[in-house]
Amino acid sequence: MRRRVAVTGMGIVCPIGHSTEQFKANLLAGQSGVGPITLFDPAELPTRIAAEVHWDGANRLRDRKIAFALEAARQAMDSGRPHGEGGLSLGIGLELFSMPDLCAMRRPDFAMPAGLRDRLTFLQTPSDLCVHMISNEHGLRRPPLTHVSACAAGTDALGTAFRMVADGRYDWMLAGGTDSMINPLGVGGFCRIGATSVVNDQPERASRPFDANRSGFVLGEGAGMLLLEPLDRAFDRGATVVAEIAGYGNSFDAWGISEPHPEGRGAYQAMARAVKDAGITVDEIDCINAHGTSTPKNDSVETLAIKRLLGDRAYRVPVCATKSMIGHLISAAGAVEAIAAILSLQSHCIHPTINLENLDPLCDLDYVPLRARRYVHHVTLSNSFGFGGQNASIVLKAVHA
Amino acid sequence: MGVQDDLAVVAAGQAAASAGLGNALGERAGLYLSVGYLPFEQADVDVLFENSVDERGFSMQRFSSQAYDAVNPLLTFRCLSNMPAFHISANFNVQGPYFVTYPGAGQFYIALDQAYHALSTGTVDIAIVGGVAHQRNFLVHHHFGRVEPPVHALSDAGACLILESAAHARRRGATVRAHLSQYDLHYEPHDPFETSIVPHETGADSGMGPASLPVALNRNRQPVLSHDLVAADGIRASSVWELL
Repeated sequence: MRRRVAVTGMGIVCPIGHSTEQFKANLLAGQSGVGPITLFDPAELPTRIAAEVHWDGANRLRDRKIAFALEAARQAMDSGRPHGEGGLSLGIGLELFSMPDLCAMRRPDFAMPAGLRDRLTFLQTPSDLCVHMISNEHGLRRPPLTHVSACAAGTDALGTAFRMVADGRYDWMLAGGTDSMINPLGVGGFCRIGATSVVNDQPERASRPFDANRSGFVLGEGAGMLLLEPLDRAFDRGATVVAEIAGYGNSFDAWGISEPHPEGRGAYQAMARAVKDAGITVDEIDCINAHGTSTPKNDSVETLAIKRLLGDRAYRVPVCATKSMIGHLISAAGAVEAIAAILSLQSHCIHPTINLENLDPLCDLDYVPLRARRYVHHVTLSNSFGFGGQNASIVLKAVHA
Repeated sequence: MGVQDDLAVVAAGQAAASAGLGNALGERAGLYLSVGYLPFEQADVDVLFENSVDERGFSMQRFSSQAYDAVNPLLTFRCLSNMPAFHISANFNVQGPYFVTYPGAGQFYIALDQAYHALSTGTVDIAIVGGVAHQRNFLVHHHFGRVEPPVHALSDAGACLILESAAHARRRGATVRAHLSQYDLHYEPHDPFETSIVPHETGADSGMGPASLPVALNRNRQPVLSHDLVAADGIRASSVWELL
């Protein structure tokens, strides 16, 4: 017997908010979090803009994504601890190394730092450290799940946690994603493959999903965490249920290393599997939080896949792209965007896709351009598609007690 | 493709061939893969270093001009932990669900657990369950040299198993090579900055990271393989396999 799964806590650190309240206000106001890179001097890199988190706690640890994840987890757990033993499901980013540390290692007088903490954060901090730090801080005694499916990792973390709780394998789970690649190797690497926007003179206008003039994604950073528990137990303990996760699907494109299947085969499969898993029909989907990266290929292919999924209804279902405001949070994207979708469900208002001024002829759906829209909706499909053709979708439902 | 990608594809191909499967596994096949710590070769590091340093140390100016042009643009893809999964999916047309995790032998068990449940619930008919680690390189050596106690005997390894439900195996007339007769999986939360857990593994070569158990199963010639694991990250696992 599968249990219904409630979301009873949310935590967020992202470029437009360090709490769900702040995030919601800026999200619905269409506030861009993109600006010039300040975390390092990008010098002559083609891309010199990003969506940075400006939060005092970000640099408490050398690896910003660990600080983000710890803070988002604390916020999510503020809503109260569910009964039973909990676990963690976390999408985590790439362990890039520090170029200044690398150069320091080559000096003749170099010696490794003495303490374990300093050694583990020198040159590169293993990404899985934050999994164990969160588990330790919150006493999560079930084996943690670490997801490294790139841009799909946050949604995979939520979807897998949903299944674990629904099937009764775990009593409850903290689930989400964290990432920060705004460093020389991260920004340089994405520049080198031509993935990021180079609209450096107008940073707030650079991320423009589905727009005819989009030129690549804008790198963002942050973390989102959600607390998942069985719906009936959440009501029993008097928890505030903010939404329900009802279904999850993922798939491989089995196609190209950096480009999606031209017909959106994998994206369609992930969405269709999530809808089937939720036990609903596609006619019940009344909003889509798109992957919407602002890259030339993703947005048109995602549009094709949505049309295949929804048929003629595709033109009447609002589709929004959170990345237009916060950039691409890579492994954290799916979790932060799920929070955006839940806040939209709760407020009966869909956040806008900002900077959408000239619709790409290949992107001809209703993308909620420029301004938030009052819209009572009940079921949102949230998409994340990754480099390497890994696709994940979850179905989120409004809950009325 | 990087070394880790090569290992993954070869291992998956061998496993599929030995199971009598072709190269087009399709929508009902899922991939459950644990990959090792991020590999980065000394030669690639040298190019970055030499083109990024000046008399004062790291120079962003040089990095953004010299190093940027000197490195192979495909290096970005070689660094992504999900690339072995991509290469397996693309080579064997795996379109089903996946679970891609990292970085050690404990995570292989978690991948195995996910595959078991996907098979039990009928989500997939066939599960490729694998572990792959490219460990003989600059960055992984750096990591294992700083932990307590340091780990020096590191191997590059990749191995996959094809799991399927007994009913599915019967239907397609597959030869059953092993039964997983029991497994346990536990975790002890800890502060990784304060506590060093001394890893211990019996029944497999602990220097192979997430590939240790599937390699042992591929090599084993005894009727039963018992594997016990205490991983440095707090995961404790054990399994008993009956080899037929």
